[in-house]
Amino acid sequence: MGINYGQLVRGDRIHASLLHDPEAFADEMERIFVNGWVFVGHESEIKEHGDWVTRQLGTESVIMVRESDESVKVLANRCSHRGTALCWEQRGNNSFFQCTYHNWRFGLDGSVRAIPFPDGYDTPKEDLGLDAAKRLETHRGFVFVNLDGSAGPLADHLGAAGYELIDRLCDLSPTGEIDLSKGWIAHRVQSNWKLWPESDSDGYHVGFVHASMSETTDTYYDEVAVGGDAVRRSRAVDYGNGHIELDWRPSYQRQLAWLGITRDKVESYCEALTERDGTESAEQMLWDGPPHAFLFPNLFLGELVIAIVEPVGPGEMIHRHTSVQFEGVSEDFNRRLLRQTEAAVGPASFITSDDAITAERIQAGISGTQRSWADQDRGWIDLSRGLHREQIDETGARSSDASDETTNRGFWHRYLEIMTEQV
Amino acid sequence: MTSLQLKAEVEDFLYREARLADEFQLDEWEALLTDDFHYWVPAGRLEGDPSEQLAYLNDNRARVATRIRQLKTGKRLSQLPFSPMRRMISNIEVVDQGDDTISVKANFVIYEIAAQSTGELRIWPGQAQYRLRRVDGSLRMSSKWVELVTAELGQRNLTFLI
Repeated sequence: MGINYGQLVRGDRIHASLLHDPEAFADEMERIFVNGWVFVGHESEIKEHGDWVTRQLGTESVIMVRESDESVKVLANRCSHRGTALCWEQRGNNSFFQCTYHNWRFGLDGSVRAIPFPDGYDTPKEDLGLDAAKRLETHRGFVFVNLDGSAGPLADHLGAAGYELIDRLCDLSPTGEIDLSKGWIAHRVQSNWKLWPESDSDGYHVGFVHASMSETTDTYYDEVAVGGDAVRRSRAVDYGNGHIELDWRPSYQRQLAWLGITRDKVESYCEALTERDGTESAEQMLWDGPPHAFLFPNLFLGELVIAIVEPVGPGEMIHRHTSVQFEGVSEDFNRRLLRQTEAAVGPASFITSDDAITAERIQAGISGTQRSWADQDRGWIDLSRGLHREQIDETGARSSDASDETTNRGFWHRYLEIMTEQV
Repeated sequence: MTSLQLKAEVEDFLYREARLADEFQLDEWEALLTDDFHYWVPAGRLEGDPSEQLAYLNDNRARVATRIRQLKTGKRLSQLPFSPMRRMISNIEVVDQGDDTISVKANFVIYEIAAQSTGELRIWPGQAQYRLRRVDGSLRMSSKWVELVTAELGQRNLTFLI
């Protein structure tokens, strides 16, 4: 008997047992992280032939490697012989991968190169390669895979909105290229992974959970998310397919507010955008800034931070982030982005450390709820805020006040679709 | 050769700094800092140029003041309540002495209770590198760089003064 997801995910509430149930977790790792599209990393992390990084996709450890100048491969970090992990560091450069158990050697494309004492095998060599992601597509250097190849094209998953969100970020770089090679920082949190897509895109909590930050320092979040009339113009948006945004654009009071800096400090940057796209587009981009959005199921476009949500177990996860670096800007500009990232995100930051505590408190609150309580009106989590005032535009996107739970509902709506799909 | 007197003075300073941090005596801790204080906890070894790396924590003097102000709001959820904690400091070495600067390395282990959420005991082993400077006759700290043994593994919340 599997879980009846339709009973546990409703339009206005979800059952809290889904945030700690080991059976639900196992289903998610298969249906969301193996059968669907997931974000792996960025091509700028592996610039040279043989560069690789390891990454965790749900419970599967993978190696993302630059196989040739053009080609990126995502391989299972698991010897095809007896299952030994091939890489145990976070990054490296090799011309091949060699297992330390029986010295099987694999090319960067995952094919077997050499097996000691090969006369012991009748099996054709081409059947002994590493498991590889069956589908891999990239957009602006963002690498996505579908491990088992059963999902449709990436375009069906990302939709126009997913591409537009990535483009909106990358277009802010004067060359159109961003670099994500400053390394990733892992924030270990004792909560279910699904609490973070919600937290990263929840506009309601900002003035409460982050009150200590806004009392302490001037931040643009005061104008877009904390209080006052301006906030009323920010929007919570559900684009469908679980892709969601807190759209701050209408609330910004000045250009470059998202960079926490005035224009005279980065005049050459502004000129570079103008030269590339013309005055009108450039001026608008300087107002709009990067998106604050979550692409289902594991990629947070956190303005000038990129984060990956990594499930570890039903009550354990990692929020792994790096700083966006632009190409074609000064060293000072990119250093500023590093310092801005350190202030905002991570274990010692001023902002997401308080989100981590909140997620851990939720986990503590819900850990005793039982699936069987669903029909006893017990153990539900309410996500109805703003249902009565949502608007739907011509593309089908739903939006509402930035404090409304439109984003949270968008995540869970996609979750329900996937968990109840007929395989 | 470090004089016993200097060594004793350095030890007194480090023990006091540790106790003030453990007890969240934030103003007293901040009073130990020079105006150019630099606070750094990298996600790896204490190597390379801090300004070029993405770290757990990389505070100049102004940002560490913000950090302390945030802790003092009474609304900093990740330190509400403050973590009960104690640290041991050992293997103290004066590694360099200039005209006005003393460089010191010491190992530490911090025992922290995550009283804000799970209540678990968290253990933070590492090495701290301090630069101390004499200001108006007494020692002040001009930098504290902390290399965690677990630096590359990721961390749980690190919102106390490490």
